[in-house]
Amino acid sequence: MSNRITIDPITRIEGHLRIDVEVENNAVSNAWASCTMWRGIEKILRGRDPRDAWLFTQRFCGVCTTVHAMASVRSVEDALKLEIPLNAQYIRNLILIAHALHDHIVHFYQLSALDWVDVMQIPKADPASTSKLAESLSPWTRNSRNELKAAQDRVNAVAASGQLGIFANGYWGHPAMRLSPDVNLLAFSHYVQALEYQRKALQVVGILGSKTPHIQNLTVGGVANAIDLDSANALNMEKLEMIRVLLDEVVQFVQQVYFVDVCAVAAMYPEWFKIGSGVTNYLAVPDLPLDSKGSSYDLPGGYIHSGDLAGVKGFQTAADPIFRQSVGEDVTHAYYQGEKPLHPWVGETEPAFTGWTADQKYSWVKAPRYNNEPAQVGPLAQVLVGCAQGHPLTKKYAGLAIEKVAAIGGVHATPAALHSTLGRHAARAIRACMLAELAQKHWQLLVDNISKGDYTVHNQPVLPSHEVKGVGTHEAPRGTLSHWIVIEDEKIKNYQAVVPSTWNASPRDHSGAHGPYEASLLHTPLAKPDEPLEVLRTVHSFDPCMACACHAFDPSGRKIGVAKIL
Amino acid sequence: MKRALIGGIGNVLLGDDGVGPYVVRVLESEYSFGDNVEIADLGTPALDLVHRIVGLHTVILVDCVASDDSPGTVRLYRKADIVRATPVQRLDPHSPALSECLMSADMLGASPENVLLVGIVGRSYEPGCELSQAMRSAVRKAIRRILQELDEYAFAYRKKPVPDEPGIWWSEPRALTPAIAND
Repeated sequence: MSNRITIDPITRIEGHLRIDVEVENNAVSNAWASCTMWRGIEKILRGRDPRDAWLFTQRFCGVCTTVHAMASVRSVEDALKLEIPLNAQYIRNLILIAHALHDHIVHFYQLSALDWVDVMQIPKADPASTSKLAESLSPWTRNSRNELKAAQDRVNAVAASGQLGIFANGYWGHPAMRLSPDVNLLAFSHYVQALEYQRKALQVVGILGSKTPHIQNLTVGGVANAIDLDSANALNMEKLEMIRVLLDEVVQFVQQVYFVDVCAVAAMYPEWFKIGSGVTNYLAVPDLPLDSKGSSYDLPGGYIHSGDLAGVKGFQTAADPIFRQSVGEDVTHAYYQGEKPLHPWVGETEPAFTGWTADQKYSWVKAPRYNNEPAQVGPLAQVLVGCAQGHPLTKKYAGLAIEKVAAIGGVHATPAALHSTLGRHAARAIRACMLAELAQKHWQLLVDNISKGDYTVHNQPVLPSHEVKGVGTHEAPRGTLSHWIVIEDEKIKNYQAVVPSTWNASPRDHSGAHGPYEASLLHTPLAKPDEPLEVLRTVHSFDPCMACACHAFDPSGRKIGVAKIL
Repeated sequence: MKRALIGGIGNVLLGDDGVGPYVVRVLESEYSFGDNVEIADLGTPALDLVHRIVGLHTVILVDCVASDDSPGTVRLYRKADIVRATPVQRLDPHSPALSECLMSADMLGASPENVLLVGIVGRSYEPGCELSQAMRSAVRKAIRRILQELDEYAFAYRKKPVPDEPGIWWSEPRALTPAIAND
C-alpha cells in the first residue's frame, strides 16, 4: 500500500512547482514534478522588433530578470553574426557574475539552509563556544561572540513573541535535523548576514545596469553605458571603484562564509552524498566570453552522458553546432498539443489542458531533451563538465571543497559523491567561489581595456530582410538557458525560451523517462512521511524557479495541502 | 528624514497582473516627488523586496489581488492583514510572498512603520500586454488613494503642469528601439 504526498504551496496565484511523491515503506517509490500554470509568454514576442525582445523577456521572471535579457540580446546577435566590443563583454560579464553571486547566496541561506538548520535549537546554543568553533573554520571577522549573541537574541525574540513569523512553517525538531545548537546558531547568524551581502551584489548590477530589478543598459550589439572617466554621468573611475569595493566584500563572504558553511553542512550530513542522484546526463554551456567574437570563455561547457566524465564532449563556443542540433522539447506529458519532440526553432506552444493525471499529461512544463534524453543542468553540471575537461579554476575549488569537508568531518568525498543532493549544494558553492575570483578578474580586464583608451561599447545591428535564426545562451545560476529566435522581414517570426528549470523540472517524456527532479527523488528515505523534509532537501538542492508567471497577491493566505496524504 | 517607496508589483506580460507597474508609471508621469520618495516598477520581486523596504517609514505597494469582488475593485490592506497569512513551505524563490518580506524586515528590526497595499481585483491573467477595461478604470482611484496616503504622512509631491509620457512601453504597438537608443 503506498501513500501519495502532494507538496503544493500556494500563497499567490502564480505558476509554481508542485511535487507528488508516492511513498512505500518510508521511501519514495515514484515522483512527479509539475508546474501549475500555463505560460506561453513567448507568443507575445511574435511580430515585434527583435531589438526590443530583451525588454519583454526580462519580464518572464521577476527573480531572474537579467538572465533573460542577456540570452535575448545574444540570440539576436547570433542571428546577425554581430561582434560585441570588449568593454560590452566585460560589463555584461560583471553583471552576470554579480547577479549569479546574489542568486547563489540567496539560494543557500534564504531558500534552503533551513532544511538543514533547526532554528528552534538556537536558544540552547552558547555564543562563546560557537565563536570559538567558527574561528577554527574560517578567518571571517564577523563571527564574534557579540555578533552571534545578537543573532541568538533575534531568534529568542521571535520565539518569545509566540508568533513564529517567518519561521512558522519549518520542520523544527524533525528527526532528520542533526546539527548541534552551536552549529545551528552559526549558520543562522550567516543567514542574517547573507541578506546584507546579497544586497551588495545587487548594487553592482544596479550601478552597471542603471536599475534593478530590470536593467536598462543592454542593447543588441553591446551595452548602452557611456564610458568617460571624467564625466559624472558616465561609467567613470568613481563608479568603477564603488563596484570594486562591493565585489571585494561579496567575494570575501562567498569564500570565507558561504563555501565554509556548505562544506560544514556536507561534513555533518554525509549520508546525503548518497541520496538524490537521479539523471546523470549533464549539460552546461560555455559563458563569460573573453573576446569580441565569442571564441574563448572563462566558464567551460559540454555534455556528459550517463555519468561518464571521461567521455565528456566539450563545447568550445556558445555557437557549438552539436549543442544546437541536439535540443528538442517533448510534450507527451505536458499540457500542450503536439505529437513528436520539436526543435526550439520550430517549437509550438499551443495549450491542451487536461488536469493532473499521473499516467497522462500533468504539467505546464515541457520536457526539454538532449539527444532525446533528459539532462540535468545547473552548477553541478558546470562543475562536472569543468572537472572532466581539466578546467583549472573548477579543479582548484573542487579540490578545496573536498579538503575542507575532510578537515571538518573526516568525510572523504569522492568525485562520485557529487551525483547527489549534497553534490548540488557543494557544486553551487564551488561555482560561487569561481565566480568570485572571476568577478575581480573581469573588473580588472574592463579597467585595463578602458585605460588603453578603448571606449567602444556598441556595434550597430543591421537586420536583413531574409529569414535568419539565432540562439542566445547563458549559463545562468540555475543552469543552461537558451533563447531561440527566428527573424524574418525585421520581425520576430518565432521565439522559444528553453529555461534551466524546465530541463530540471521536466515531466516524463514519450519513452517514460523521468525528468531530473523526479528521478532524484526516487528511493529517498523519509523519517516522517507526513513531514517530507527529505523531499524538500532534494528539490531545493536544484534551486527550483518555476514561477516566471503571475503574482497576484492572495490576501487570505490560503494554502492547499502542504503535505497531503492521499 | 522619513523615506517612502511607492512600488508597482506584477508581471506586465500577464494581462491584469501588470496593473501595479502601470499605475506607478502613470503616477510618475503626472506628479513629481521629493528625494525621499522612490517610485519603482518592481516587477515580481519575491524576496528581493526585503532590500527595498528595510529602514523605510512608508511602503505603498500596488498589486493585483485575488478576491470575490468584481474586477477593478480597489481594496486596501495594512501590514496586519498581510502578515496574517502564515508562510508555507517555500519550494521556489517566488514563494516568499509579501508577508514573508515584511516578516524578514521585522526580524532585521527594520520593518517599515506604515504599509499600505493598494490591491486591484484582477479579471484575466492570460499572456498579453493589455489591461482589461475594468483595471484601466481603477487606475485613477488607485492613484488618488496613493496620494491620500502621502498627504497623511506629509510626503511632498506636486502635479506636473504638463504630464510626461507614462512610458507603458509594453503595450505600445510602435517599434521601441529608436526611443531607447536616445535614452
